[in-house]
Amino acid sequence: MKTLLQRVNVLMLGALMATPLMSAPLQAADLTDVQQIVDQANLASYYQGKDGRSEVRMLITDGQGREQLRQFTILRYDVADAGDQYFYVAFSRPADVRDTVFMVAKHVDRDDDRWLYLPGLDLVKRISAGDKRTSFVGSHFFYEDVSGRNPAEDNFELISTDDSFYHLKATPKDPASVEFASYTLAVDKHTMLPMKIEYTDAGGKLYRRVEALEVKEIQGYPTVISNKVSDLRSGGQTLMQFGFMKYDIGLDESVFSERSLRNPPRDWLRRPQ
Amino acid sequence: MRSALIAALLLAAPAAFAAGDTATDSADWGGDAWGGDSWSQDQSASRLHGFFEAGIGARIQDDPLLEDDLTLGETRGRLEWAGELGSARYSLKGDLYADAVENGLHGDLREAVLSFTPLQQVDIQAGQQVLTWGTGDMLFLNDMFPKDWKSFFAGRDESYLKAPAASIKGSYFADSFSVDLVWTPLFESDRYIDGERFSYFSPLSGGYQAAPDGKLSADDPDDLPEDGELAARISGLSGATEWALYGYRGFWKQPMGMDSLGHAIFPRLDVYGASLRGTLGGGIANAEVAWYDGKDSGGDDPLIPNDQLRLLLGYDHEIVPHLTGAGQYYVEWTQDYDALRRTSAADYRADQFRHVLTFRLTWKLMQDNLTLSWFNYWSPSDQDYYLRPQASYRFDDHWTLSGGANLFGGKQEHTFFGQFENASNVWARLRYGF
Repeated sequence: MKTLLQRVNVLMLGALMATPLMSAPLQAADLTDVQQIVDQANLASYYQGKDGRSEVRMLITDGQGREQLRQFTILRYDVADAGDQYFYVAFSRPADVRDTVFMVAKHVDRDDDRWLYLPGLDLVKRISAGDKRTSFVGSHFFYEDVSGRNPAEDNFELISTDDSFYHLKATPKDPASVEFASYTLAVDKHTMLPMKIEYTDAGGKLYRRVEALEVKEIQGYPTVISNKVSDLRSGGQTLMQFGFMKYDIGLDESVFSERSLRNPPRDWLRRPQ
Repeated sequence: MRSALIAALLLAAPAAFAAGDTATDSADWGGDAWGGDSWSQDQSASRLHGFFEAGIGARIQDDPLLEDDLTLGETRGRLEWAGELGSARYSLKGDLYADAVENGLHGDLREAVLSFTPLQQVDIQAGQQVLTWGTGDMLFLNDMFPKDWKSFFAGRDESYLKAPAASIKGSYFADSFSVDLVWTPLFESDRYIDGERFSYFSPLSGGYQAAPDGKLSADDPDDLPEDGELAARISGLSGATEWALYGYRGFWKQPMGMDSLGHAIFPRLDVYGASLRGTLGGGIANAEVAWYDGKDSGGDDPLIPNDQLRLLLGYDHEIVPHLTGAGQYYVEWTQDYDALRRTSAADYRADQFRHVLTFRLTWKLMQDNLTLSWFNYWSPSDQDYYLRPQASYRFDDHWTLSGGANLFGGKQEHTFFGQFENASNVWARLRYGF
């Protein structure tokens, strides 16, 4: 399960977190070590810069074509590259989640710590690790997609390499913990960003797809600024866009605290000029 | 006549808002969305938000003391406005509602605060505000901020369980811990069950009481500054575990005592406590303890509550994807029980140990648009219960329809939840948020 999410995640927030692995992508020779590809894709997707800020919006369309919107600002801080990270997500719409805050302390070696702040009750709520595989605020993305999935939870193989992509296949180390049997990734050889991830269920049927729709270089980091997740069973999809994104804004760990849950760090959340 | 009025109220809110609809939002996604107005406006310093809501609820059995079967009947408008004043921030949230149960138009100032950071490590938040701390789920040990039990029982949105108070909150943030101090200069009681809307059991009369004759009224302690409330917390995060120490100086939040003339009073109360909350086995575990130190240290004054030790243990875990379960064990241990036994009548005396178990299930369906939830209190010692089933459906980003029930019952008429058997009700609410 996690894997799935994570992958998805990679795409999604990846955008946000565009990575600095630029040097690797520029090399002429193809990579042949799958672990190296996975590691670089993980960094490219989630660990760009030391930190980052972005505004995000999602257009959620269900199988009947009904639309909903979500909008939030996200702050990210890396404790270490490919290691622990913090995410702070402050919602601005719709009305029923406005001013709600979601915060994750992502750990590589143990369960993530996650909090939700509900402004109506002034309540700081702790969320258990389990439900990270469920919908993130009603979208087709999962909670875990916001903070990334640990690559160590899957086994990867390099299926093929063509002019543009490394094609990988991943299978979960603990199949019972995820809802997919496997997924494939097409990793851009130049940016090392996964451009398409497709999930297959136990019956061998493709049921979920995450695609990067637009990549832009921001402060030298190739960054996914638009992506889409499609639920092929229901026909629903969520389009996600990133805007006003900035890396290396100088965040520090103390921003990711209960203080910020109750009293949002407005200077950091403010749109960069 | 009454029902016609309610129907009209229910219909009014939707009609008023049909005009402002979601289509405009979607349109913004057409071109280059990032330059569009809809992005800019959310960053602007102030903007008006809120909701309109119509709600109705009724008893499922007669209450012989209350003629009105209606337990909820209102249309409510909420407006929220926030902005910046230099480096400070202000936030206003106010409700106006037409109430068919307690007839009339009512206002409720939910928030009017000014927040600022005078020093890098200090936050001040002053004004009318809702505050919450502690680890319990619908159980409060060290959280002595005012609750609104009437709203809770009537099926209003859960956020109304916390009532606002005019307070000043100062917080100091060190590297490994933080300190919060909350001063409420004028005591703010709970909005407790007083016989309006719901009847209650009076041990004094040995029977049920309701407004107007049996309205439970007590004078709030109002001498400045000695009757103010002071609440403090020192808290921190150690690894994945949150810890906190609490202190409170004030009064019982409901009129739990009586003076020598038989008038209900809010007895003095100090509370000291601690809590832990952290991850355990893929779920969240919490423990909290509180010492309720009243003014009846010998326990032999039948007019005011004895001291209590309160303990809470809780655990929250995902059962399967989309379905979360949580359970709590809570106990109130009345101290000096022998003295209480000597000096008070046995009939309606609380047990030495009041045990309560709660269970919560939350099931999210249809891409989170449908939420089914269950919460119950059950006391094996009082042999009573309070069940709160609820369903909520989100039609879109604006419209939400909710329905549920508040079901009380028990073997005896005087116990904590058992006394509200006649208050059992079903309710529905339709909300338009903007």
